[in-house]
Amino acid sequence: MKTSLIALTAALVSTTALADGHTGLPQAGNDWFTAANAMIAEKAAIAANTSKAKNVIILIADGNGVGTNYATRLWQGQQSGNMGDEHILPHETFPHLALSKTYNVNAQTPDSAGTGTAMHTGVKTKAGVIGVDETLNRGDCSQVEGASVANAAEIFSGMDKAVGIISTARLTHATPASVYAHSADRNFEDDSKLPEGCAVPDIAAQLIDAMKSGMVDIALGGGRRHFITKETEGPEGKSGKRTDGRNLIEEAGAAGISYVWNDETAAAADLSKPVLGLFESSHMKYEHDRAGEPSLAEMTEMAIKALEGNEGGFFLSIEAGRVDHANHDGNLHRVVTDGVAFTDAIAKADELTDDNDTLIIVTADHEHAIAFNGYCGRGTPITGLCYDIDPAGVKHTGEPLLADDGKPYTVAGYLNGSGTVLREDINWVGARGDLTQEDATDADYVQQALIPKSSESHSGEDVAIYGKGPWAHLLNGTVEQNYIFHVMYHAITAE
Amino acid sequence: MKRRTFLTAASATVIIPALARADQTAIKMRDLYNKDLSFSDLARSLEGQRITVQGFMAPPLKADSSFFVLTKKPLAVCPFCETDAEWPDDILAIYTKRRVKVIPFSVKIETTGVLELGSFKDAETGFVSRVRLSDATYS
Repeated sequence: MKTSLIALTAALVSTTALADGHTGLPQAGNDWFTAANAMIAEKAAIAANTSKAKNVIILIADGNGVGTNYATRLWQGQQSGNMGDEHILPHETFPHLALSKTYNVNAQTPDSAGTGTAMHTGVKTKAGVIGVDETLNRGDCSQVEGASVANAAEIFSGMDKAVGIISTARLTHATPASVYAHSADRNFEDDSKLPEGCAVPDIAAQLIDAMKSGMVDIALGGGRRHFITKETEGPEGKSGKRTDGRNLIEEAGAAGISYVWNDETAAAADLSKPVLGLFESSHMKYEHDRAGEPSLAEMTEMAIKALEGNEGGFFLSIEAGRVDHANHDGNLHRVVTDGVAFTDAIAKADELTDDNDTLIIVTADHEHAIAFNGYCGRGTPITGLCYDIDPAGVKHTGEPLLADDGKPYTVAGYLNGSGTVLREDINWVGARGDLTQEDATDADYVQQALIPKSSESHSGEDVAIYGKGPWAHLLNGTVEQNYIFHVMYHAITAE
Repeated sequence: MKRRTFLTAASATVIIPALARADQTAIKMRDLYNKDLSFSDLARSLEGQRITVQGFMAPPLKADSSFFVLTKKPLAVCPFCETDAEWPDDILAIYTKRRVKVIPFSVKIETTGVLELGSFKDAETGFVSRVRLSDATYS
């Protein structure tokens, strides 16, 4: 037994010996066996790309850890007619993979400001701060100048790269802000949030300054309210938040920056000029609810077309910002539908660029308190009830498994959040309500959770980093999150 | 004491199955709106009629009121208490027959009242609603 195992291992080390080495095994004709065997040759043929990267695209799905990505994989697979597990998302075809340790300097469970800063500056920092190092105490404006670190917009524009930023969240929100801003607090999105005496401009003002100076060439997302005053109504009838009388959209226009605010104006944008797209007063809509706004893939295409003409290449940071929000809501349907919109953007970015000169990195900033129950049979709808395994077949039996309380349960749940089964009005005692498949697969269903919290929380567990293109092979093993920046920088500066 | 608390809680949970068995004809909040947040044909056809809508009671804006907001998903965070938190676009303002007895935000309820469409500013709270149920009861 031991001898034959050694023999098999020996056969596997040589790809040329594979065919011969396997012919004698009873499983040699098994489809699983031959498919995995064929993959050996495919993986062995992957060569390190040591070209200099002209372009770098980083796609970050906020809150899309390994577990959340798994849910999206099963959802998209099931929507396309397979059982889900075997489905392959676009980034899952990338040749290189690492795990990212996402903690902030002072937080086992990270927040997006600290994680965004790690990826866009190369240093880890505290939770809640943007573009500054860990010496700054959150909220203290007076420390910003001394604690500032150079961010991706500053560094890459300094290398003659055009710079683009996309987010389905507000452009002033933590992850996109970490590309271009320095702020003592992620919440300083407009001047009304600044503490008295704070001399550091608010985040929206910093974006407009970065665009006016030519550091950022295109920025597409939500957050219009932080660019206009309380007295000003945007095109969709909602007023702004600013109290300093500035209309940053008008200022951008006066500086020669095109402003677009819905899908029609975006489609007609003059991409030869810098473009500011603000498609919502706050965050853009979830993909499930989207109307009148461009999709993440459409914004990705728009940005690449705007940036690709730059002789020195470009840096583009793309965030699917609302996978995180749907997780915070405990609403898996919008998690996976925004997850699919993210994968569409990845596919579009890959389609429009060349692996020879463009490094593409796909990752998340952190995971959530999402978890998956067992033991469900193959093909069990990922947002629905856990159906039993069929010992005589492959697909589930269609019979929901029952917990010890006699009730069915969903595949996915959350450790905490608004889906809590505990009730404040009865001294926080709980009982799970009855649950049907129709309820569980409803688009507005909130998965059951244990610990009562108004908003479900992030978690500190690792997230994946997928890479292709120049120097993507540097992505392997388990690495600190700020290492991602260094891979991008190395790829751009390699000789 | 603990045992008593538990028994109280256990008896209270008996109402959960009753809620889950609620009227099958109840309308979902999203059925009142089109995707662009204009009123749906269904909403227009039911204007002025007594209808039943499923949803969740957002934490009330003030105590001893006869007003609350129905949301399609549990909304634990009070948008009036949090900086910049905002109501979702698709909510339903509820004006009740009697003083509101608070139901936890995470418990699905059904509310029956007369459907009113069009902008209305509540004199007491300043809350502006586009669609309401008046003379409402809920369970």
